[in-house]
Amino acid sequence: MTPHDEMLDNIAMYALGSLSPGEAAEVAAHIETCKECRAEYQFMRPAVTAVAYSAEACADASTGAAAPSPLIKARVMQRVRAEAGQQRVPHVWPAYLFAAACLAIALITGLAQIALNARLISQGQTIADLAAPDARRFAFSGGEVLTRGDHLYLAMRDLPAPPPGHVYQAWTLAKGAKTVAPSTTFLPGSGGATVVRLPETATTLAAVAVSVEPTGGSKQPTTKPIALVRI
Amino acid sequence: MAVEDAGRLMERVRARDADAFEVLYDEYHRLVYGLAIRVLSDPLVAEDVTQAVFLKVWSSPTLFRGGNFAAWIARVTRNRAYDLLRSRAIRDEREIPESLPAEDAIEDTALANVTAERVRGALAQLPPEQRELIELGFFGGVTQEEIARQTGLPLGTIKTRIRTGLRRLRSALEGAVTV
Repeated sequence: MTPHDEMLDNIAMYALGSLSPGEAAEVAAHIETCKECRAEYQFMRPAVTAVAYSAEACADASTGAAAPSPLIKARVMQRVRAEAGQQRVPHVWPAYLFAAACLAIALITGLAQIALNARLISQGQTIADLAAPDARRFAFSGGEVLTRGDHLYLAMRDLPAPPPGHVYQAWTLAKGAKTVAPSTTFLPGSGGATVVRLPETATTLAAVAVSVEPTGGSKQPTTKPIALVRI
Repeated sequence: MAVEDAGRLMERVRARDADAFEVLYDEYHRLVYGLAIRVLSDPLVAEDVTQAVFLKVWSSPTLFRGGNFAAWIARVTRNRAYDLLRSRAIRDEREIPESLPAEDAIEDTALANVTAERVRGALAQLPPEQRELIELGFFGGVTQEEIARQTGLPLGTIKTRIRTGLRRLRSALEGAVTV
C-alpha cells in the first residue's frame, strides 16, 4: 500500500470523524492540495451524513421512549418567544383554548361536568412552572406528568387525533381513593407536543391517567387507559 | 423537509421569526435527540443537548451558512455531544476525536432527502463487520486507535472496512442523490 493509498483510508476515517485532532489537521491540510483525496472526501461525506440520519429518534407514539420530553420544546420556545418579543399564544397550549370552549358550552347548556372545574390561569404562570428547576417530573412512555407545588400538568408527545366524536380525557386518583375522578378533556396540540394544565391539586393525588372518551368526557373511563403514571 | 425549505426557514429565523424556528424544531428535534442519545447513552443529558443545540440555532443562526440544514445540525449536535464527553471527563480526552467540520454541510446536499428509515435499511444491508465499525466510529466518541483497542482489530483492517462500508452505503443510497 502506497502512502497515498494509506491517505485514502485516512480520508474515510476523517469523514467519519474518528481521527485525533492532530491526525484530522494533517488530513484536512492534505485535502486542500490533493484533488483525488478531495474528491474521495466529497464522495464519502454524504454517506457519513446519512449515518447521522439513521439515529433519528423513532416517531412511533406507541413506544415513545426514544423521543425527548415535550417539556424541552416548551422550555426552548419560552425563551425563543420571549426573545422574539412575540405575544402569540403558542401552539403547545391548545388545550386551554379547548377548555375555554368547553367552559362556554357548559355555561350555555348547563352540562358542566369537566370544564366548569377548569381554571384558566395565565400562560405566563404555566410556562414558569414548566421551566422551574423545582418542578417534579414523572415520566411515562408517551410523555410525563409535571407537578410544581399544587400545580399539575400533563405533557404528551406524538398524540394522534382521536377517532371522530372522541377526545382524550385525563383522570386523577386522589390519595387513598379507590376509583379515579374525571378531569379535563383535550385534543392533541400541533407540532407533536400537547401540554395540559389539570385543575386538580397535585399534592392531593396519587396517580394520573389518560383515556380516549366520547366528546364531552365520561364520568368513569370507558376505554383502557393509554397512560397511567403514579406521582 | 426539502433542503430549500429549511434554508428559507433559517432565513426567517435570522429575522427573529419564532414561528419559523418552531417548524424547524418540530422537524429536526428527533434527529438531534436521537443522535445525542446514541453518542451519550443518557436520555436526560441528550435532552440537555437537544435544548442547547436548538437554542444555539436561535441565538446564532448565522452559523448556518446555507446548504443542507439536517447535515449541519447533525454535525453541530455530534460536536456538542463530544464536547460534553470531554468536559465531563467521561473518557480520556485523548481518546475523543476531533469535531466534524460543520461548514462542510454547505456542500453536503447529496442524500439530503434520504429518510432515517431508508438509511437504517441500507446500513442493515452492509456486512456486520463494516456496519459495526462505522457505527462505533460515528457514534462511539472514540478515535481510530481506541476502536482498534476495543475491537482487537489491526488499524489497517479497521480503516479498510470503514472505507469499503461507507462506499457501499453511498452506493446503496445513490438513487436518492439530489445533485
